[in-house]
Amino acid sequence: VIDVRQAAAAITAVLVLLMAACSPGQGVDLGRGSGNLIAAIGGEPDQLDPQKTSAYFSFEVLENVFDTLVAPDANLEMKPALAERWELSSDQLTWTFHLRNGVTFHDGTPLRADDVVYSYRRIIDEKLSNVDKFSAVTDVQAVDPATVVIRVKQPTPNLLTNLGGFKGMAIVLRSNVESGQIATHPVGTGPFAFVSRKSGDNIVLKANPNYWGGAPKIPGVTFQFISEPSTALSALQAGEIDWTDSVPTQRVTQLRNDDSIHLAVTPSNDYWYLALNEAKPPWNDSRVRQAIAYAIDRKAIVQATSYGTAVANQLAIPDGNPWFAPYGKYDLDLDKAKSLLAEAGGAPKAMDMLVTSEYPQTVTAAQVIADNLAPLGITVNIRTVDMATWLDQQNSGNFDMLMMGWLGNIDPDDFYYAQHHTGGTSNAQKFSNPDVDRLLDAGRSETDQNARRDDYAKAAAIIADQASYIYLYNPSVIQAWNTKLTGYDARRDKAIRFATASLTEPVSQ
Amino acid sequence: MTMPALMTHPTVRFLARRLAYSVVVLIGVLVVVFALVHLVPGDPVRIALGTRYTPEAYDALRQASGLDRPLLVQFFSYLGNAVTGDLGVSFRNGDPVSQVLMERLPATVSLAVVGILVALVIALPAGIWSALREGRVSDAIVRVTSQFGVSVPDFWLGILLIALFATTLGWFPTSGYRPLFSDPGGWLAHIVLPGLTVGLVAAAILTRYVRSAVLEVSAMGYVRTAKSKGLAPQVVTMRHTVRNALVPILTITGIQLATILGGVIVVEVVFAWPGLGRLVYNSVAARDYPVIQGAVLLIAALFLLINLIVDALYAVVDPRIRLS
Repeated sequence: VIDVRQAAAAITAVLVLLMAACSPGQGVDLGRGSGNLIAAIGGEPDQLDPQKTSAYFSFEVLENVFDTLVAPDANLEMKPALAERWELSSDQLTWTFHLRNGVTFHDGTPLRADDVVYSYRRIIDEKLSNVDKFSAVTDVQAVDPATVVIRVKQPTPNLLTNLGGFKGMAIVLRSNVESGQIATHPVGTGPFAFVSRKSGDNIVLKANPNYWGGAPKIPGVTFQFISEPSTALSALQAGEIDWTDSVPTQRVTQLRNDDSIHLAVTPSNDYWYLALNEAKPPWNDSRVRQAIAYAIDRKAIVQATSYGTAVANQLAIPDGNPWFAPYGKYDLDLDKAKSLLAEAGGAPKAMDMLVTSEYPQTVTAAQVIADNLAPLGITVNIRTVDMATWLDQQNSGNFDMLMMGWLGNIDPDDFYYAQHHTGGTSNAQKFSNPDVDRLLDAGRSETDQNARRDDYAKAAAIIADQASYIYLYNPSVIQAWNTKLTGYDARRDKAIRFATASLTEPVSQ
Repeated sequence: MTMPALMTHPTVRFLARRLAYSVVVLIGVLVVVFALVHLVPGDPVRIALGTRYTPEAYDALRQASGLDRPLLVQFFSYLGNAVTGDLGVSFRNGDPVSQVLMERLPATVSLAVVGILVALVIALPAGIWSALREGRVSDAIVRVTSQFGVSVPDFWLGILLIALFATTLGWFPTSGYRPLFSDPGGWLAHIVLPGLTVGLVAAAILTRYVRSAVLEVSAMGYVRTAKSKGLAPQVVTMRHTVRNALVPILTITGIQLATILGGVIVVEVVFAWPGLGRLVYNSVAARDYPVIQGAVLLIAALFLLINLIVDALYAVVDPRIRLS
């Protein structure tokens, strides 16, 4: 028999205990106590195999664990990394890379040329997603433990970018791959070594004191998964975390005036676009596609999706990038849009627009676009699905128009080839243009920098003229960190590198 | 007690029957979940590979995940492994599912227990008080407050609590979770705000049930008798009214607890709480079949366990109820 008073007393006792233990000081914070840099990222990485993952959350962590042969500096120019130097033969077909001396993996295994060959052969032989980076490569060979020779079938000016542009091309440890551990316990050569992962909570890295680029000044990094941006920002303001890229865009203006927080709003190389399904009439008619391009109000889309932090662009590559080419054909012009539609035989009544809740900006933009196209007599039926369904639908060509973005591009070949070359691996819109094909092929082997820039500028102009993609905007990299964190800067390729970061304790407090 | 006597003991028979029943329910749940996840559009392999992949990599991953086998073969092989406690590995990150679930379970149980305690501490006195003062101003205040509590979105309440107690006052951390046993102080500090968020919303619902349960009992003849024979009002309330109202209160408390255990996704998102709700949500988005199946099984098992505890408590609260 239960006594209500006893039960109430017991509950009260428990609560009093709870409250009593709640005194200031609040116990040990595992992350804080360790002296680690605490970085809040907006979601949980999937697998930690750099060559297999496609998730940005994974790359945020793995950027600090792995190395590539060469790596981009802040201006995205390729600089020595695991390869200390390299030579290119006079026929431009043989690249010889000399590995840095004394590099070891986190488990102590010395890095050898065989590891580089193994890593590249794995991508090539298993045809992993990044295999297209090796499309010109005919042979990868270790001539001695410190030298790797890569042969190409044609001069390949972007080989270095292909090898070092991102950590998907990381040099991995054979035994780590063969044991199957790489997905959960990756072993790299980078500035930080993987320690642990707690599902839904965090990933902890510790400094690699033998890092070839110099031992990090911080003992480690704890990546905390905080998907709600307002929570991440509160945690930053409360001093619980040191860094985050999960920042509510609507608060950027206010944060610019906050001295206690360093805010970086850096234009990125990412871009968002619309693509019309050219396998289906009437979207196979370039005039219909152009009409859509003329009717889109990019300024309104930028405002609605990013509170003005993004930059509208009619091409993929942003101003400030060495490969930028000016282009401004599609300024908002409804009359032009209407006359193009009339030429093409009238406006389509309805359009099925495929967007995904995984990227809320696509849903927001779709509403603006539906509004933009209404005056043309086109009813936009917005279809919001989750990412899994979106990929299915895109792949089976079940859409009239879709909106998506491409992230982390460096070389112009990354921006255009797979997306716009006939039969390209990412050409879901089924665009095909012989001039574009010729120019994109030429760009892959053109070694004269100016001629190459010219090829891509021409290709990009045709792609936009023909509205293979209707380019919308380049988003900004938005990151915030506290004043204790120094030696870190936001990069336009969104690589999160804490190798040179340090944390200084504030004088007072 | 000899073995046969033990086997025929009503409690043991009750437990044995419930266990058998639970196994049947869990298998039923598994069949439904398995069918559902495989029927829903969306390909786990495609989403794991992202927008850029080769057909070879697609086939390799599909084969490695066992998704190329006929559905029935997949089901029975899963069932066979599940019986031995092997729930497979996540498609998404290769972690063993049982390990992931065990990592998430403490956070979820902590939040549910603290949340329901907060709810009871508020709802029991408020509901009883309100019922005993039916129609008066104090009753109206409780009813309006609980109506407000029911209507408040939990994410909004969570954000408000963070803004006040974490950002402005700095009393508690904004987010995150610490394990109870290795870091009790950290656990406590971190659970206060999410526990309050969950508890306040549940309290609003519970208060209304407590109030109506007490009201219903108050109208009973035996309460009138107790009053008329001159028992002190507190004695009537505690011994006659509240005790008889406990059965419906237990029922709704059990349902509330089970709901919180099943995942309070929004609260978990706002407080970056590594609970089951967010796990299920993310796994569904990634079509991570083994994790969805494992998590739903675990949640179903928790539901059954709570039901069992509630049923047992009925017998404690009201001796007329026999375990059968």
